[in-house]
Amino acid sequence: MLLALHGVSKRFGALQALREVTCEIDGRAVGLLGPNGAGKTTLMRVCLGLLPPDAGQVRVLGLDARRNPGAVRMRLGYAAEGPHRIPGLSGLESVAYAGELCGLPRRTALLRAHEMLDLVGLDEARQRPVEEYSTGMHQRVKLAMALVHDPELLMLDEPTSGLDPGNRDELLQLIVRLRDGDGPAVLLSTHLLHDVERVCDACIIMDRGQVRYAGSLQELRARMGDDEYVLRGEGDLGILADALQREGHAVAHGERPGALRVRLRPGAGPEAIWRAAQAVGASLWQVQRRGQRLEDAFMAAIGEGGPPP
Amino acid sequence: MKDQVFAVGYRRLPGGRPRRWAPWPIARTALALAWRKRSTKLGVVLCAMSLFGHGMALAAQVLAQRLAGSRGELMEGVMRGIVCDVHSTLASFIGVQMLACAFLLAMVAAGLVAEDRRTGAMELYFSRPLRRHDYVAGKLLAAGLVPAATLVLPFALLWLFAIGMAPPAAAGELWGLLLPGLLGALVAAATLTATILGLSALGERGRTVGVIYVVGMLVLTSLGDELPDNGHRWAGYLSPLRNVQTVADAALDAGGSGLLLQLLTSRPETNPSLALAVVCLLALIALGLGVLLWRVRTEVAG
Repeated sequence: MLLALHGVSKRFGALQALREVTCEIDGRAVGLLGPNGAGKTTLMRVCLGLLPPDAGQVRVLGLDARRNPGAVRMRLGYAAEGPHRIPGLSGLESVAYAGELCGLPRRTALLRAHEMLDLVGLDEARQRPVEEYSTGMHQRVKLAMALVHDPELLMLDEPTSGLDPGNRDELLQLIVRLRDGDGPAVLLSTHLLHDVERVCDACIIMDRGQVRYAGSLQELRARMGDDEYVLRGEGDLGILADALQREGHAVAHGERPGALRVRLRPGAGPEAIWRAAQAVGASLWQVQRRGQRLEDAFMAAIGEGGPPP
Repeated sequence: MKDQVFAVGYRRLPGGRPRRWAPWPIARTALALAWRKRSTKLGVVLCAMSLFGHGMALAAQVLAQRLAGSRGELMEGVMRGIVCDVHSTLASFIGVQMLACAFLLAMVAAGLVAEDRRTGAMELYFSRPLRRHDYVAGKLLAAGLVPAATLVLPFALLWLFAIGMAPPAAAGELWGLLLPGLLGALVAAATLTATILGLSALGERGRTVGVIYVVGMLVLTSLGDELPDNGHRWAGYLSPLRNVQTVADAALDAGGSGLLLQLLTSRPETNPSLALAVVCLLALIALGLGVLLWRVRTEVAG
C-alpha cells in the first residue's frame, strides 16, 4: 500500500487545510488531483513528516510517517514545487549532495548523480550553477535529486508547472518510463488533468481539504455511467432534444453551437437517437460516441462535495 | 576514479546501505561554497596576515632577547623579556584574530541558515532522511571550523613556534601559557560560532546578517574597551573579547607557576568579575544556539 490515511486533519490558523482525510491507495502511478488550494501540497508534506497532522494516522509504504519520519523519507523521493535550490552548486553537485544527505558515500553519490542526470537528459549543463538554469532544467535537476537515493516512492509536486509543451512532454515521457521500468512508484500532484490521464493508473481527487475520490481512473470513469453521444445536424435540434428527454435520456447542450450531448438511459442503444430523429424529422449529420473524459469525472467528483462545512 | 559506462536507464541501487553521518557533507559543502566567494578569500588573507605579523613579531622579540643574553645580560632579565613578550604577543593575537575571524565568519557563515530559508533549501534538506540535530550539527561544524582553523590552531602554532625558539629555561615557563591561551581561543571560537549562527537564523539575507555581525562585534568591542576607562566598569562585560581575556587571565592565575606569574609584568585589560564574564559569554552562546534551534524547530517538524 503506497498511502493509507485515516482521519488526517491539519489546520493553519483559520485555514483548515486537511479535513479528516481518509483514503488508501496503491498503484505504480497515482495522481493527486485538485484545484489550487485543495490541500495537495499539505498532504504531501504530512506524508513526508515535514508537517505533523493535528489528528489522524498517516502510513506511507506501511510506515508511520509521524513516528518514523526518517525511515519514511529514506524510502521517498520528493521534488517540491518551488525553485528549491542551493545557489552556487552546479546541477551535478546538487544531485550528488542530495545523495550524500540520504546516506550515500561521496563517490557513489557522484556516480549516481551522473547516472540520474543522464536519465533526466541534462547533459553539459550539469556543470553550470543551478541559478543559471531554465525552468525545464530545474525540474529535471529536482527529479534527479529525488531519484538519486533510489526511493520506492517518488513524490512530485506540480512537476510540469511552468514548462513549455516540449519540455512538459519529455518530462511526462520520463515519468512514464520510470513507471513502466524498474523505477519507483510515482505520486504526481497536479491540477493538470492531462498529465494524470497520461501517466497515472489511479488518482486521489481533493477539494477544499477533503478527499472526494481515491481509486483507479478506470473506476472513476465507470462511475460516470454510459458513454455520451455528441449530435450535430441541420437547423435547430431543440425538438429532437425534447423528444429524447421525453424518452428518458439525459440531454445537454454540446460544446459547439447547435450541438447536443446525449447520455442514453440504461439499456438503450444509439438506434434510439435515430428513431427519435426520424420521428421529429430532424436531419443529423454527426452521431459521435465519446468516452467519459477525466475532466468530466473530476468535475463530477468535486461537484459531489458541495460547499465547505 | 575509474571510468564506468552506464546505460541511460533507471538502475536500482543495492539495498542495505549503512547510514552515514550527515553533518559532514553539510559542513563540507557549506565551506566549499563559501570558498568560491572572493570575499571569503579576502577574509582568509586577513587572518593569514594577522598570523604572519604576530609570528614575525614573536620571532623578532625572542631573537632580540637571545641576542641580549649572548651579549652577557642577566639570564633572569632575558627570561622575563621572552616570557613577557610571548605572553603579550599571544594575548594580542587572540584579540586581533578574534576580530579578523569575525570578519571571515561573516563571509562564510552569515548565510548558512539565512540563505537556506530564503532559497527554500530548508525543505530540500528536510525532505531527505535528515534530522533537525543533523542539520544543526552540520551548520555548527561548518561555522566552528572557521575559528578552529584561524584562531585555535594558529594560536597553538604560534606557541609552538615560541617554545621552539626560546632558550630552554624560558621555554619551561612558556608551557604555562598554553592551556590558558587555548581556553581563551576555544571560548572565543564558541562565542563567535554561536552568535553568527544565531543571527543567521534570524535573518534572511547572508550579506545583511554579515554586516550586522561585524559592525555589532566592533561596536561591542570598542564600547567594552573605552567605557570602563571613563568610569563605566560594567561596560567591559559588553565586549566578548574582554570577557574572553578575563577567562584566559583567570586560568593563567589558577594554573601558572609562581615564577611565571612573577615574570609577567603586564596583563591585558580584563573585567573585575570572572563569574560575570563567564555568565556574559555563556549567555551569548546560549542565545545564539537557542535562536538557531528555535528557528529550525519552527521551520520543520520532523
